[in-house]
Amino acid sequence: MNVELTELARRFGRNQAVAGVSLQAGPGVYGLLGPNGAGKTSLLRMMATVLPPSSGKMRLLGRDPGNHTQRREVRRRLGYLPQTLGYYPGFTVAEFVEYFALLKDMPPGQVPRAVATAVERVGLGDKGRAKLKTLSGGMLRRAGIAQAIVNRPDLLLLDEPTAGLDPEQRVTFRALLREIGEQATVVVSTHLVEDVGAACTEVALMDRGRVVFHGTPGELTARGEGSGAAGDAPLERGYSAVLAAARS
Amino acid sequence: MTAATAHQAPAAPAAPQLATTGARLAWLYLVSRRIPAAAGLLGALGALLWIALAGHWNITGGPAARLVIPLVIETGAAGIIAVAGHGPFGETERATGRWLPWLRLGSTLALTGAAFAVLAAGATGGALPGGVPALLRDLAGITGTGLLAAAAIGGSFGWAGPMGYLLITEGALATGWGTPWIWPGRPAGDLGGALCAGAMFAAGLAAVTVAGVRSTRSRTALE
Amino acid sequence: MTTATAPARPARAARRLPAPPSFLRLCWIELRRSPMPLILPLIALLFWFDSYRPSTTQAPLYPLVTFWNLGQGHTIIDFGPFVAGMSAWIGSRDGRRNTVDLVSATPRPRWAAQLAAWASAAAWAVAGYLACIGVTFALYAHRGVAGSPPWWWVAVGACAVLAFSAAGFTAGTLLPNRFAAPIAAFGGFLVMMMSSQAGFADRSGWALILPSNSNGNFQADSGILYPWLPDLPIARTMFFAGITVAAISVAGLPAAAGGRRLRMTAAALTAAGLATTGTAVGLASTARLSAHGMVIPALHDAASDRLTSYTPVCTGTGFRVCVNPAYRRYLADTAAALAPAVASVAGLPGAPVRAVQGPAVYDSADGGGGQPVTISGSPPVLSVPLGAWSFLPGINGFSTGPDSVGAFRQSVWLLFGQAFVGAGHGPGTPAQQAVQAALLQRLGVPFADQPGLLGSIELTSGHPEPLPGPVAAAAGRLAALPAATRHAWLATHLAALRAGDVPLSQLP
Repeated sequence: MNVELTELARRFGRNQAVAGVSLQAGPGVYGLLGPNGAGKTSLLRMMATVLPPSSGKMRLLGRDPGNHTQRREVRRRLGYLPQTLGYYPGFTVAEFVEYFALLKDMPPGQVPRAVATAVERVGLGDKGRAKLKTLSGGMLRRAGIAQAIVNRPDLLLLDEPTAGLDPEQRVTFRALLREIGEQATVVVSTHLVEDVGAACTEVALMDRGRVVFHGTPGELTARGEGSGAAGDAPLERGYSAVLAAARS
Repeated sequence: MTAATAHQAPAAPAAPQLATTGARLAWLYLVSRRIPAAAGLLGALGALLWIALAGHWNITGGPAARLVIPLVIETGAAGIIAVAGHGPFGETERATGRWLPWLRLGSTLALTGAAFAVLAAGATGGALPGGVPALLRDLAGITGTGLLAAAAIGGSFGWAGPMGYLLITEGALATGWGTPWIWPGRPAGDLGGALCAGAMFAAGLAAVTVAGVRSTRSRTALE
Repeated sequence: MTTATAPARPARAARRLPAPPSFLRLCWIELRRSPMPLILPLIALLFWFDSYRPSTTQAPLYPLVTFWNLGQGHTIIDFGPFVAGMSAWIGSRDGRRNTVDLVSATPRPRWAAQLAAWASAAAWAVAGYLACIGVTFALYAHRGVAGSPPWWWVAVGACAVLAFSAAGFTAGTLLPNRFAAPIAAFGGFLVMMMSSQAGFADRSGWALILPSNSNGNFQADSGILYPWLPDLPIARTMFFAGITVAAISVAGLPAAAGGRRLRMTAAALTAAGLATTGTAVGLASTARLSAHGMVIPALHDAASDRLTSYTPVCTGTGFRVCVNPAYRRYLADTAAALAPAVASVAGLPGAPVRAVQGPAVYDSADGGGGQPVTISGSPPVLSVPLGAWSFLPGINGFSTGPDSVGAFRQSVWLLFGQAFVGAGHGPGTPAQQAVQAALLQRLGVPFADQPGLLGSIELTSGHPEPLPGPVAAAAGRLAALPAATRHAWLATHLAALRAGDVPLSQLP
């Protein structure tokens, strides 16, 4: 198992952002669904080791991120795309990806090829020398994905990765996720159910800091059948049905 | 609401509501520019001026030398005013209605006034060369250089204008350069120095009011 | 195995250079994209105005042209605050650009990424500083400035730029918002101005470490007759190096900077930096005045005290005057000034047979009017400390206009007269004053002008008063005598006069 969470919680003052989440995940693509404020981003940040949990246990890639040495090892094999992507406008695409490749302690000899591969995989091969400040929002997002995958991570955490991508790019991106998920654990946090349906093998639905559903997209769809819940697609109806049940 | 009423213009808000809304808008604008924090920093500079005058902090030299440390403090205030105009919203804000120039004008004047007030209070610590009239003139002029710099090269670098002016002034004072454009070197009641400082402030104020502070951030990551 | 079956030689594998370490690659990216170069054109403009332009009003000698910009730290004032402000802006980058999470989620400690950003910014800043200095020295060379450049002081400036950069950068990491840059720039200016306030006029003690304390640390003949004394610059280099290490290490102290071991290393480096700075201050406080500059005993190299050997340039005929080649342009005027003075005492005991340039004595004061000449040796040789004189013909010192040849000559005559009568540094006995005044009057300086002349070359403190009545009367009588009579009286009484044994009443 690459991800083992046991009663993981996080509090911000009086706000219980994550209220005891338990999950296990091996290789594959896992969707993290939920309405705004459900705690998805906080959970993802804890898994990215940038936010310490308030309580609970977490093991990532067989290691305890609470231990400094083991946390560094986790980060070497981690790829992370936050919800709000910060960047240095003066860097080119290639420099941006290379910068994070170096920060991830990739062997220097492997960096140039890894950067080129990552940039190609996200479809920015012809924009490698373009400065980030000249890119559109979707291209920036893809540059962010490139830095997340440059080190061929064993654990890839993506928060709203398809924001700003056009439909064609989203299709390509989902194929990329499936490819990466064959060997690594990919956790995708999104509120776009179609992304989950197309790419994920398992999905967890969060609401108010808790996991209210954990199963396959097909099982989520089944929850919506005959429930009368709102939604334009079967997965959306399943999503609405589970939320309604959790809140009743 | 029915379809018939949907397209009727809303009733004009009452005057008290307008005033409340205006105050609310102004406050939000000030907060977005971190002007409360800027005011706090200006207060600290006022305290520093008081300490400098009470402690007779003077660089070695004649009357011109005694100007330098108060000038440095005034320049610090001008640098803070210059960067405070920098907004985080970029084009999103520029694509709004008519209030933005008034907000820029009002906030700049308010912050400059606040800077003058705290520095004047700080000047009670001792004998400020030229007194409060010179303080007003010098602060206004140097602030003008900062506003012009912010309009030209961006709010993040607006501080470079006052600092550059300070360096030129320091060299000019040492060599006895008498041009009115080096207004800190002129007597407090000197008309030429006052006009030049006033012109600089007016130019800077006009620039940031009409054009705004140049944004070095073309867009946010998720636009 | 036959040649037919011998295995083909393998193609030589393409040689690949080993990949540079990751940190260097990080630095390379940062170097290429650092915003520090954006501020360098403004700094260069200000450098021209504040550091180069004033130096063009000085006589073309390195101790004079670099007194204001390097000696009084104006190159540091030009660079330091702006570098501090820009470095603060760079240091606050992660906070402003919302990249804290991205950078934190990597195994390399955040401090390492910050060090790469700082190192690149500092490299640009120091390169800009050295470029400005380089262009300045090139212009000096084109202008024919004589002597050797004060390289140690250039190193002090470079270290100061590093220190401002480190302090500004760390301030930016700790205060990652829009006000970091103006606060850092303001702080840099205030520090330099306070440096000018704290110990500008000090001639001893800890204040000598301050970058704006020049106060004659630029000895007049440094780099010409004597090497530049490295003692104080070494201490200041240590001072700024210590600040640099301490400041940049502070950025490694917060929990977010890295693991415990790294933060302990940062704490140790902070302590080491502060210790280095404190040591430098301690060393500066032990500095003492020597003939050629400020000497710090623990750092002093005796070789610095030795005269720099040189081949003098001399006048061809008559009273031979020899000077250091750096003062070649003053040779003709010096010889022309000395000629009538020497002629007026020719044949008298102690009259010098030739003149050589002597080293100025360091007196740790700004400017300096005129150090006295001396006559010594057998046969008597006149030693002329040209380097100590602020009245050399042409532009020199901080005077508002060039000094005339006429004023130069009169000053030379006065100094010659003082040495010849044995008055030395002080005004001398009444008899010596009268004899000197008479000689000066015969050379062409009226009695009424002589107090002003004395004051202009600052040999006495305060404003010299006109000669007291009896002295003036005796001087007038002596000056009115026929030359032969006066000459004979001097020949008889000079030894006693120089010894101070001649009362005023004995003058004819």
